[in-house]
Amino acid sequence: MKTLSLRNLGKTYFDPYAGAHVTAVHDVSLDVEPGEFISVVGPSGCGKTTILNMIAGFIPYSKGDILLDGKPVHGPGPERGVVFQSFALFPWKTVLDNVGFGPKMRGVPKAERDRIAREYLALAGLSHAAHRYPNELSGGMQQRVGVVRALANNPDVLLMDEPFASVDAQTRMTLQEELTRIWQERKPTVIFITHDVAEAVFLANRVVVLSKGRVLDEIAVDLPRPRVWDDLVKDDRFKQLSARVLQMVRAA
Amino acid sequence: MQVTGSLKGRSSRLIRSVNSLVGAAMFVAPLLALVAVWAIVVPLFNVNPRVFPSVGAVGAAALDSIRDGTLFAHVGASLLRVGLGTLIGIATAVPLGIAMGVSPTVAAFLTPLFRFFSVLAGIAWIPIATLWFGYGFGAIVFVIFNAVFFVVAYNTLLGVRTIPHTLRNAAASLGAGRWALLTEVLLPGALPNIVTGIRTGLGFAWRGLIAAEMIATNVGLGYMLFVARDFYRTEVIVFGMIVIGVLWLLIDRLLLVPLERATIERWGMVRRA
Repeated sequence: MKTLSLRNLGKTYFDPYAGAHVTAVHDVSLDVEPGEFISVVGPSGCGKTTILNMIAGFIPYSKGDILLDGKPVHGPGPERGVVFQSFALFPWKTVLDNVGFGPKMRGVPKAERDRIAREYLALAGLSHAAHRYPNELSGGMQQRVGVVRALANNPDVLLMDEPFASVDAQTRMTLQEELTRIWQERKPTVIFITHDVAEAVFLANRVVVLSKGRVLDEIAVDLPRPRVWDDLVKDDRFKQLSARVLQMVRAA
Repeated sequence: MQVTGSLKGRSSRLIRSVNSLVGAAMFVAPLLALVAVWAIVVPLFNVNPRVFPSVGAVGAAALDSIRDGTLFAHVGASLLRVGLGTLIGIATAVPLGIAMGVSPTVAAFLTPLFRFFSVLAGIAWIPIATLWFGYGFGAIVFVIFNAVFFVVAYNTLLGVRTIPHTLRNAAASLGAGRWALLTEVLLPGALPNIVTGIRTGLGFAWRGLIAAEMIATNVGLGYMLFVARDFYRTEVIVFGMIVIGVLWLLIDRLLLVPLERATIERWGMVRRA
């Protein structure tokens, strides 16, 4: 496991519609410890998805550094797994082959990567769906596949870009509870982007609030685990923390 | 859950097979009606066999050509030419289409050429093809290749462009290199359009084949029609036309439609109307 550091990270790009240079991310510094779960919240346009895309290597950064264990990262790589809002499963691969894709890219033989994929599918309660195609699954099930596909590749950091934004409210709560459970079992390092304050607090050890391309504040979330919604909706500490974060986001 | 699932699967399979039976009947009925009209009109108006043959004469011509083996020689020659021309067309068009889909520069440079040559594709090439390859096999295969190549390349380009960028990002962040991106994402992602391109191209190729065979060879279905004309053998001409139509339907139903079904529909990438 490795430490991820953002040092004075910035992104400026030319917007052809505005006909001008736009700065999406001004100056962001952040250290993420191995095994930490960080939520990044902020209003739309605060630069949170841009930051995630830069860490993932999908877009280049204009200034500063992104360091993984002290080494700068450029371009996408398997040590930084990504869970997409649109799921981004391969429609032409079965669930099993989607989850086994990362190991396949590492040259893991078929039998072994099937074993790995089955192990992770079991973790998400999806063993029965191994031989189905993504289009045969509900949105919630597709995103479970998306999460374990990224995890099965054993990344140093798991980057999640509003992964539960496009599923219904009930499913979202289940997925959030499952994610906290999986995180407790496997302790991956997670950076979770969301605009949903309650989700951010529910999941994370630390909530980072962004505003206009800068870090506004960070709040440690010391709620005990395992976390389930039935308990937390009644929990005063959860309510306090959520209210504090919400205030900051609205002021941002 | 499992039981209801499989029951649902079974009953939907039953519905589907009944549907396809009804579909086949609805498809054959108008053709049979046409044959019935033909069987009535020709004797009724005592049509000169040099103008249009009777059903019986066409049947006899069919039996003759089957008995003496000429039908199989013609069909075999035509299918070999179409098959080879199509294979060469696909094998060259798909890599080029993918290169165009990946690189905007390549696409921008080649697009005007494609516009120009797609208009020309087909039988306009026959005269020069016969100069290059001589009368016969080579010239005809070239014409088929030409008909398939531009359509498949263009559809492959479209296919690569319609692949959501997040899928390429997903593959890259799971460790896929350039080659894996090509074989695991771009090729299967473009496949729906490639299959569409092959279907359209093969349709063009089949028409081009008949035309080319009338001009540039001494065996094949087109040649069979053309020679029969010289001897006023309308029954052979009509039989040949029926064979051409039926063969196309068979190629489409037995080769192309199942290919679509096994891949694209299964993946949910094309919704059937």
